[in-house]
Amino acid sequence: MDTLNRSLLTAAVLLALGGAQAAWAQHGTAQHGGAPPIGEAELRELPQLPDKLPSWLDNKQKNHLFYRRGKYNFDVYNLPTLARDLNAVSVGHAMAYEDLVTGKAAGLETKTFARIDHVLKYPPKFMPDEAALSPTFGRKYGVLEQVFDWTHVLHAQTVDVLASKQLSEVEKDREIERLWKFYFDSVPYAVTPLPLNMDYLYSQPYSKKFRDTYKKVNGLFWGYHWLQGAMYDMLYRASPEDQKAAYELLGDQYHKTELYRMDRHFMPMFAEVSPVFAARFPHIANAFDNLHMLHDMVNDILATPELAEKQKDEQIKLAIWMVSAEAHRSEKPGDQSADRLHDHRHFVGMPGMGMMTGMTPELMWMPAMGWMSMADCHHCTMPLWEGADWWRNPTVTADGWSMRVRCPLCARDMSAETKGRSMLRIPTEDPTRVVVVLSDEQGNLKTSTPRVVFLENEGSHAGCDEWSRAFSSRSAFDAYVTAHPNLKGAKPLSFEEWAQRQGEKPDTYVKPKGPSENPYTHQEHGK
Amino acid sequence: MKQPLIWITAMTAALLPAGAALAVDHNNVDAHRPLSFDDAESLAYREQALEFGLNLVWPRNRPLGAGLEGEYLYGFARNSHASIGFEPSIGGRAGGADTSFDPGNVSLGLFHNFNRQYGNTPAFSLRGDVFFPTGRHAQGTAFRLRGIASRQAGQYGRLHLNVDLTGNPGARSGEREFQPGLVLGYSRPIGYPTHFQTTGLAEVSVRSGEERGTGPVIGVGIGMRRQVGNRSVVDLGIQSDVAASGGAPRDRLRFIAGYSAGF
Repeated sequence: MDTLNRSLLTAAVLLALGGAQAAWAQHGTAQHGGAPPIGEAELRELPQLPDKLPSWLDNKQKNHLFYRRGKYNFDVYNLPTLARDLNAVSVGHAMAYEDLVTGKAAGLETKTFARIDHVLKYPPKFMPDEAALSPTFGRKYGVLEQVFDWTHVLHAQTVDVLASKQLSEVEKDREIERLWKFYFDSVPYAVTPLPLNMDYLYSQPYSKKFRDTYKKVNGLFWGYHWLQGAMYDMLYRASPEDQKAAYELLGDQYHKTELYRMDRHFMPMFAEVSPVFAARFPHIANAFDNLHMLHDMVNDILATPELAEKQKDEQIKLAIWMVSAEAHRSEKPGDQSADRLHDHRHFVGMPGMGMMTGMTPELMWMPAMGWMSMADCHHCTMPLWEGADWWRNPTVTADGWSMRVRCPLCARDMSAETKGRSMLRIPTEDPTRVVVVLSDEQGNLKTSTPRVVFLENEGSHAGCDEWSRAFSSRSAFDAYVTAHPNLKGAKPLSFEEWAQRQGEKPDTYVKPKGPSENPYTHQEHGK
Repeated sequence: MKQPLIWITAMTAALLPAGAALAVDHNNVDAHRPLSFDDAESLAYREQALEFGLNLVWPRNRPLGAGLEGEYLYGFARNSHASIGFEPSIGGRAGGADTSFDPGNVSLGLFHNFNRQYGNTPAFSLRGDVFFPTGRHAQGTAFRLRGIASRQAGQYGRLHLNVDLTGNPGARSGEREFQPGLVLGYSRPIGYPTHFQTTGLAEVSVRSGEERGTGPVIGVGIGMRRQVGNRSVVDLGIQSDVAASGGAPRDRLRFIAGYSAGF
């Protein structure tokens, strides 16, 4: 064997034994940051890592898992504009993370923002590989990347199911549960489906650093999270035609307003923008909120220059642990604990939302909406449908929020009271058929289901669940009226007739009063 | 010669529709798609992929030749995949004077990724292939061991070092039983930060000549992989054995076009 061949053979053996790893390890890129360890005077005491953490938090493998096979995969492309917008979301996250860990944080609000904004305006045709866009981030925080990726897969697949034209609504519900099981059982690093105390998670020593320092990019992040939540109710039990029409409205809101909002105190919560899906699949809504909170915690950690690299690594590991399913094993929704990490209370009437800053289980607060009970209609204050009838609640979506109401009249009139365009989802007598109604700027209503028949025998709102209803056909209307003798003689209303009406101010309405005007400013001003 | 051409065309036609709805990522690099190096990433657990390509070869002192390369891969465990491949060819080839159709050897491979890149430690994988002697004039079962290390180079680029040891216990007299080789590959996404569909590739390789007494062959190649569907990629490449010593047979040029789909 000649000299060259011997050399090549030697190199092969060395590499096979892993020698190359050691050799190459000498040539890594420089570590960024280098700030001195955090001082007690500068920052409150950092939470400590628990003594015993599972080994998966330190794994060094790629552990890439393939998604669940299904005929619905990539059906999000039935809504091409939504699909592309979601592709751009991946780019936005990855670019910001890569710049944060490569010493480019100073340009985040200018250069990075401009780059991301360009992609959001001209979204890619295919889902980019986030790992390729943020290689340095992935190299430093590989386990975090696994948590993000795997939960993003759940996001993508549930949306594919909802956008499928081949699956029935019942099949979609069933498949979404299967996807959850697949997500949850396949890895040790699934995000917990329990409601977590968001106030606690967002009150860490580093919390709000990213929001307060990089307002524009944070606005984009929360804009993505708004879209990733709001799309669920838009898609759920809506026909493909309605889904398309609804995304014209929702996509417009996303691009013109939600991406550039910098006045939010807190990230958009899933149940604030998709309350129907959150009530139906609270475990999934909670997991997505917890994932988005993990994003916020990581953003804040990376944006805190007082933290040394080692501290950042530890705090990110701790943040992953906090939202992981394993940290909350054998705990249940509704559990209350003195240790706020294990506080799993949720709002009354909304199991898909953990406790928020300054709020109580009975009262929730939203910007521009004020205090409200998530168990009651936001128009007439009467109790919402629950239990087996959960699906009967209509919703109104406008200006970035989505509210459940008790009856079609409440939906229509609440929509009329809001500014700008809105979307109404009105269930019929068939749990799988929802009528989608869109309202333009002037309040003109239109639907792609013109044959819908309405009952509106207005009386006290104590009974609006009975006298205000929508039906998929005249025969369904007749059957209902026949079964309810007190409605004898009720006139069936066409969509046009119904759309022109306006009800009286609900006699049952009571404006809830919370413990403060605005719980976020209350807390931040230290009141 | 007509029959083999029909066979190659039929194989291609059979694979094309299967791939149309399927997948992979332009950023993940497998050998022959289109250059000769692998990156250190395995298929995802439970992922399947079909990869195939056509190559046009212009060997030195030989007529033009053509070949088909096909591979099926399956992620049978976390960070591991298995593969089965075939590579029929016809016409001129660097290794011999025969130009008739050769069904080529069938190969079985195992790939395992030991670690992703973390800190400054590169991602590291091993790949082993056995080649069953199904080809014309093939003797004995050959094997190849390949060590693969991939690491970030610059912000978005990646370097991939492949070190090979090919063994052929059934080598004829005058042929080497063991042939080491080395490929240094580079991949980098093209179009960032506005386009996200294409990866550019380049390689430099050195391998031992097949015949005893011949020196090493030095090759270079460039190529690209482009996402054309949610889970499908086309690739194009050009390779050349730019230098060889001791009369080692080599290809002036090889043009490669391929398609991969994951599902």
